Amino acid sequence: MMKFLKQVIDYTKEAGQAAKYIGQGLSVTFDHMSRRPVTVQYPYEKLIPSERFRGRIHFEFDKCISCEVCVRVCPINLPVVDWEFDRETKKKKLNHYSIDFGVCIFCGNCVEYCPTNCLSMTEEYELSTYDRHELNYDNVALGRLPYKVTQDPMVTPIRELGYLPKGVVSGHDLPAGSRGAGKLPEEILAQMESDAPKEEAKAAE
Amino acid sequence: MTTGIDLQASFVQILEQFGLPHGVAKLVWLPLPMVLIVAAVTVLALVSTWLERKVSAAAQQRIGPEFMGPQGMLVPAADVLKLLTKEDIVPAKTDPWLFTIAPILVFVPVFLSFLIVPFGQNLVITDLGIGIFLWVALSSIAPIGLLMAGYASNNKYSLLGGLRAAAQSISYEIPLALSVLAIVMMSNSLSTIDIVDQQSGYGILGWNMWRQPVGFIIFWIAALAECERMPFDLPEAEEELVAGYQTEYAAVKFMLFYAGSYANLVLSALLFAVLYMGGWESPIPVSWLAGLLNVSETTPWFQVVSASLGIVITLFKAYLLLFLAVLLRWTVPRVRIDQLLDLGWKFLLPIALVNLLLTAGLKLVFPGAFGG
Amino acid sequence: MNLAEGVQIVSLGVLAFLMLATSLGVVLLDNIVYSAFLLGGVFISISGLYILLNAGFVAAAQILIYVGAVNVLILFGIMLVNKRQDFTPVRNAWLGKAATAIVCFGLFALLSTMVLATAWPISSGPIAGDAALVEIGKHFFSDYLLPFELASVLLLMALIGAIVLARREFLPEEMVDSTDEVLTLPERRRELTSTPRQ
Repeated sequence: MMKFLKQVIDYTKEAGQAAKYIGQGLSVTFDHMSRRPVTVQYPYEKLIPSERFRGRIHFEFDKCISCEVCVRVCPINLPVVDWEFDRETKKKKLNHYSIDFGVCIFCGNCVEYCPTNCLSMTEEYELSTYDRHELNYDNVALGRLPYKVTQDPMVTPIRELGYLPKGVVSGHDLPAGSRGAGKLPEEILAQMESDAPKEEAKAAE
Repeated sequence: MTTGIDLQASFVQILEQFGLPHGVAKLVWLPLPMVLIVAAVTVLALVSTWLERKVSAAAQQRIGPEFMGPQGMLVPAADVLKLLTKEDIVPAKTDPWLFTIAPILVFVPVFLSFLIVPFGQNLVITDLGIGIFLWVALSSIAPIGLLMAGYASNNKYSLLGGLRAAAQSISYEIPLALSVLAIVMMSNSLSTIDIVDQQSGYGILGWNMWRQPVGFIIFWIAALAECERMPFDLPEAEEELVAGYQTEYAAVKFMLFYAGSYANLVLSALLFAVLYMGGWESPIPVSWLAGLLNVSETTPWFQVVSASLGIVITLFKAYLLLFLAVLLRWTVPRVRIDQLLDLGWKFLLPIALVNLLLTAGLKLVFPGAFGG
Repeated sequence: MNLAEGVQIVSLGVLAFLMLATSLGVVLLDNIVYSAFLLGGVFISISGLYILLNAGFVAAAQILIYVGAVNVLILFGIMLVNKRQDFTPVRNAWLGKAATAIVCFGLFALLSTMVLATAWPISSGPIAGDAALVEIGKHFFSDYLLPFELASVLLLMALIGAIVLARREFLPEEMVDSTDEVLTLPERRRELTSTPRQ
């Protein structure tokens, strides 16, 4: 009899526990309802790409020496370098250069290895077209610079998570002058320079 | 007890003044509340789909529909338009007859059940003597439609979903009916009007939720399971069964299932409000308010105000419960089929039986508080 | 004849036709699933007849029990049993069919003569209507107490039987063992699964 009673009591306790946990879960869900949506309403609001964002590649025609390093480091040998040897100047003369962004994986190897820095990453990511062949950018298209999100009057720029003040998770409605957690590179440099004499003094002692 | 306004009597009276015989006047009245209720139910179901989207979005810190109409309120209308104009596909090798009848069999009983949902003392299509029992009986037709849909689709996911839905539906009907029975025992009547009347008089303190706390919870769990709402939505568990018995359905037939499920949810919420939360009774008794304002309860304008207040309060309670259902959807994970049947047969059924016995005992001991 | 009576007669005709058509379908159709679904149609039309007789509670109970429980169980049975059996045509099959038809018509004739011959005592009391519920309850606990209790005991026995079957505690030992063997994979020994590293 006592065993049965104990079973009943245990069962009731378990049911109570389950109800308690469901209640806790409900309170969490309910709490989320009063928070501001984190949605970035895309065409009207855009996230500011980070400094190291790997977007569409920019190409400077005049800097290129047609060395084809970009082709060799590319995982799929994607860049097309069309050059001919100029006998008068005894140099390679670049005729055309193109990258197909429908195939590119934006790994950034070409940018990394380019000896003359004629390749660089931009922050452009809106590469949708109606025809995938339109993504095959020639040297003219590659030479265009994207429009900056922060300067577009149609767009409200929103900061990304890494650039928000400490403890803030949404880029909306930030107070003016708020800045990301941690120091900027130049600030760290200044700090190091101001610290350097002290360190030396310590070492001298 | 105030009778409130009687729309039917006054309407018939007005027509009789124009020289129509009594029978014809009544006949003219008959379709009006039916059409009104069908339209109202459709609107309520559409509103609940919108609410589901918005509340889900809020619970996930999203915005939800925003640009179609104010706050995206036209999204349900767009949905209906889209589903109406889509091609009505009947896949090859299905059973076209059963495939067509199944959504109707699921849809019609739900809308029929609104026959007994009261919004006020006289604001109900019919005050049937069997009242709430009609709902219990009609909701037992739905599993046939689900099985039919599952079988006719000629698809293993559909068949599994249909079987699951039917199993779930018939197992949760029993605790549901038992918890309703406890209420019926307290109010000595199956009629929804009488059930609300029995709760009236003491405002929020007189509601059945205080006298039937166990039944209150059982009913809500069972109602969620009957409506195949989230913790119990395994008939259409999309990770395992694509969409269950709805997998092969498109266009208007899919819309019938969809509208049926939301109308069923609204119906359950409304009946929950009627059974446990005093129906159209406001938390503060209307008669008390009338005394405070120093107006007689038979004053015409006061009756109009209290009737519209009753409708608003009923809907408010129902939508509060709907909100809770949506919140539960994003809180509780889906149960497995064996856990579901365990919960139904081994937990809810015994507890509902004990609750029924307890109610009977309490009714004998305290006839005043538990309806002698 | 006023409007209400006209409506009643028309609905009686429709319901009677539906009931006959669906019940004939249950018997005559080859597809057993159709038969099962049509059986639901028969039950629903019967409940419609009850409504015409002012017996709302009986109609709702008819739907709840016969459509909601019995018919669904039958359908479950049909859909869960996955047995295919090829029919071998039997010679002189018409003999069986003819015999069935004769028996059916005989029963039908017997019942109809009984219906026509019996002097049915028609109650002259007022129609109970919605109060029928109370009357039924009173009858259950007075003159029909014994059948009611017997039915309860029968249901209780069925319930206990179902629980015993579901718990599988009282099934013979060897049966349980054999299912275990089939269902579990033999566990591999550790030294067989791990590859030696040398």
